[in-house]
Amino acid sequence: MSLFDKFEKNAALYNQLSALGKNPFTVVMEEVLGPTRASIKGRETVLAGTHNYLGQTFEPAAIAAAKEALDKEGTGTTGSRFANGTFAGHTQIERDLAAFLGMQHCVVFSTGFVANLGAIAGLVDPSQDVVLVDADCHACIYDGCTLSGAETIRFRHNDPESLDKRLGRLDPKIKGKLVCIEGMYSMYGDTAPVKEFVEVAHKHGAHLLVDEAHSFGIYGETGKGVSEAEGVMDQIDFYSGTFSKALASIGGFVASNHPEVEYLRFSSRPYKFTASPSPSTIASAGAALRNIKETPALRKMLWKNVGRLHAALTQYGLRLAAGPAPVISVLLPTREDAFAAWNFLLDQGVYVNMAIPPGTPGKDSLLRLAVSSAHTDEDIDRLVAAYGAMAEAFPAARVTG
Amino acid sequence: MATMEQSGIQEDDDLVFRRICGLLEPLNHKGVKLSRDVDLVADLEVDSVSVLDIVMDIEDYYDISIPVNTISETKTIGQLVDAIHAIKGQQG
Repeated sequence: MSLFDKFEKNAALYNQLSALGKNPFTVVMEEVLGPTRASIKGRETVLAGTHNYLGQTFEPAAIAAAKEALDKEGTGTTGSRFANGTFAGHTQIERDLAAFLGMQHCVVFSTGFVANLGAIAGLVDPSQDVVLVDADCHACIYDGCTLSGAETIRFRHNDPESLDKRLGRLDPKIKGKLVCIEGMYSMYGDTAPVKEFVEVAHKHGAHLLVDEAHSFGIYGETGKGVSEAEGVMDQIDFYSGTFSKALASIGGFVASNHPEVEYLRFSSRPYKFTASPSPSTIASAGAALRNIKETPALRKMLWKNVGRLHAALTQYGLRLAAGPAPVISVLLPTREDAFAAWNFLLDQGVYVNMAIPPGTPGKDSLLRLAVSSAHTDEDIDRLVAAYGAMAEAFPAARVTG
Repeated sequence: MATMEQSGIQEDDDLVFRRICGLLEPLNHKGVKLSRDVDLVADLEVDSVSVLDIVMDIEDYYDISIPVNTISETKTIGQLVDAIHAIKGQQG
């Protein structure tokens, strides 16, 4: 039985919460009613825990494109990008993404997770290269480092000086240095000082990878991400992203001006040995990308909703993790508080995301509200009312108690 | 890995040990008596991210870099202390 012993401790909690019907990790959307509504436990609920930032899940053009691809190309590719799974749609969206980002090259992977995994493991040689990772980077970046087998050094979150010190200490014999950061970090909704990181990385001859999974389509004048907002789109070495948030599909990509990024197609096992995204998912992502390019109003609406919600939650005295961002996290001191507050919100007809240590950056548990441009005024009213009631019921969630 | 006697750095070792214990104490909710043999995860129930955060404090204090790969290979306080000494020897 020793194979399963390790599950014992967490399984007890998991089963206990599931038995009570109060487990944030087993929520089922029984019926999807629109971009911001679903039926959960038989009740119509406002979705504020999905990452549908630009409300593209029901974009008519994206649905039409997906249906057309289904009819013309079938349900799946039944193969990997490297072998028999590259259709015209895959190469077309690579060109479209590269053009949108102003980069020369783009490689599409099967998910955002796989894109970071495949980029890091494909780029880094464990015998001569080192990866330096922001302390708060997503699990897929850490797993990419593990898969690469290369020496991995962690620096303090959003702290270019901490990176500078660690780059300065490296053995001069080390050849390649890859620095990994994110644009917007999805737990707190805080953004990276990308410009400063570019300067520090390049001063030491290191390459910089910026994961813009949560900021693509949202930050910057034209929605290219935090790197655009920081004015350094042309200076970052690798830009990774996902189709599963602003583009409301599934897939991932890495874009770059380094022609060598194309070599990932034969050097990256997560590219070579997993099935490629189905034609319809590629088609809907492509249509969503066109829509985002042509409709800056989506971004404006998102930021308007962000402003309204962040102001309301601040006014309630809730302890917020960061300034206004599409992710607005309320910090709670204990896991028990977070479970109770999450359930309280669900009972109010509001679904948010709950995160607990060690999946969170600090020692706090948090409730993550993900804002959408598709949230209607009525949705926002319901969210504001539910958080107001929560602030009353849970003094631990407030700054002053 | 060298023992304290072999490496002849007993006093320094003690300082690293004490520094780590100081950083672990706030996380020692079960009141375990800290010694070199204490297992960070099994005995102290410290999660892997907390161990990484403690190591970052050590890195900044001694001005060394301790790879994540090295930390994931250490289980006990003593192994962590020894790993820090090995890196201090190389980089210090």
